Amino acid sequence: MDFDIETWVKVAAFAGGGIAMGFGAIGAAIGEGFTAAEANEAISRNPGESGDIFKTMLVGQAIAESASIFALVIAMILLFTDFNANSVVTVSVLFAAGLSMGLGAIGSGVGSGFPAGAACKGMSRQPKISGRLTTNMLIGSAVCQTPAIFALVTSFILLFTNFTGRPVSPTWAAILGAGLASGLGAIGSGLGGGLVAGASCDGISRQPLAATPVTNVMLLGQAVTQTTAIYGLLVSFILMFKTFPATDLLAPPMALLAAGLCMGIGAIGPGVGEGFTARSAVEGIAKNEAATADLTRVMLVGQAVAESTGIYALVVALVLIFVV
Amino acid sequence: MGDLGRLHQLIVPFFGHNMTFNIEPIIMTWIVMTILILFGFLASRKKSLLPGPLQVVGELFVAQLYGLADDALDKELSKKYAPLICALFMFLVLSNWLGIIPHLEEPTKDLNTPLSLGLMGFVIAHVAGIRVKGLKKYISAYFEPMFFMMPLNLIGELAKVVSIAFRLFGNIMGGSIIILVVSYLTYSVILPPFLNAFFGLFVGTIQAFVFTMLTVVYISVQVK
Repeated sequence: MDFDIETWVKVAAFAGGGIAMGFGAIGAAIGEGFTAAEANEAISRNPGESGDIFKTMLVGQAIAESASIFALVIAMILLFTDFNANSVVTVSVLFAAGLSMGLGAIGSGVGSGFPAGAACKGMSRQPKISGRLTTNMLIGSAVCQTPAIFALVTSFILLFTNFTGRPVSPTWAAILGAGLASGLGAIGSGLGGGLVAGASCDGISRQPLAATPVTNVMLLGQAVTQTTAIYGLLVSFILMFKTFPATDLLAPPMALLAAGLCMGIGAIGPGVGEGFTARSAVEGIAKNEAATADLTRVMLVGQAVAESTGIYALVVALVLIFVV
Repeated sequence: MGDLGRLHQLIVPFFGHNMTFNIEPIIMTWIVMTILILFGFLASRKKSLLPGPLQVVGELFVAQLYGLADDALDKELSKKYAPLICALFMFLVLSNWLGIIPHLEEPTKDLNTPLSLGLMGFVIAHVAGIRVKGLKKYISAYFEPMFFMMPLNLIGELAKVVSIAFRLFGNIMGGSIIILVVSYLTYSVILPPFLNAFFGLFVGTIQAFVFTMLTVVYISVQVK
């Protein structure tokens, strides 16, 4: 058995496909299980609404699964496409595409389970507003998928960009770093966005009159929660599209890999933390609509402070790319 | 699949520099602008107490978005910026919906469109901040809570432009890539219309609204 470059490209495609679908299956399964658990609890509370609750559970689970389906698409492409470029960069590209999509699907999968569960529970509490709750759940879950979509964009750009002509030595590390930055970076934001959307479905079921400000602030909170995932996307774009000079040393490639890792891991915490902030703000607005303006302002300032560690990670990643 | 990421560019030499024009987004932007101007003309041509269908749609947009501006800004500023907010939302919504028509594509799929709109919002927000608070108070806001936080505050402000632009771009681009790839894998059977409805109409509307609301919030944060 000899390991020539064609074999390595195949190995990377298979490993990438496995990683994409393996990691990609984690989040959606947890989210869907949570939804089903909440639906069971809701039906036990109000068995008369079991038909509506069952339907909402299925719709919510279908949306929570979309992150996993993105991972399935990437895994299928990796497994069934013939990649006949024979360079070490291709090996790294295939592996990074799998990593990005697999890791990126975790957060959004778990996150979009929360609004679906809260919507089921809310329906048992307030059967009359099931239409408004379903709309809110759909909007919240769709925005929850944004980080997974960013990871998907990175994977596709990796797979369909022509990297021939780039020097092998730092490029392989830059590409791996790009995959890690958007993949890991999507975890926290997906989870945090789900917390916000869940709280808003809960809030609407408690106080249907406050539905409009609750949905608006939910969208705002989710959007700000996604900021660190966007930094991850930004760093991976820089790593993918900048041409780095060839080098024989080990240090420059490692700096690029570290930039991706730094941004990816650094984005997890702020994403979840900002989700907590926005969740409480949304809960507060449902309880006391008159305080919407104050709650929104404090939420934005709190999120900005929680995000500062994500900005430190961005600064360090940019220093690693451009300075070191 | 071959046309993924292919772009027609017009490169014009200009005093030693090359100016690059992405032709498709420009044409699509002009189409959106034409439709919007036509819509505005037709909706307001025969204004009456008993509104026609186009006037109803126009009034719906204006009333909702003026309300959004009223919630975030005080009366005087809201009157000033509400037309901008309204125009921004209508442009973005129509841009994001354009992709569901075959042979047309979303101008927001090109990073240049969201980035320039984000920059526009950034400049407007900061000019409004300087006008309302005065230059001294505006600058001193960067030195809070401690003077050495200035570089990080500055990066935080610039990162807002990046985040607002990439959020729209990533969602629209991701949606169109998914539609393209799934259509290719399933030989365009059954699935594409549903995907177009979800990513084009639903996600497109949500993201247009998020972009608009963030622009309003950026202005309101600066003026307070």
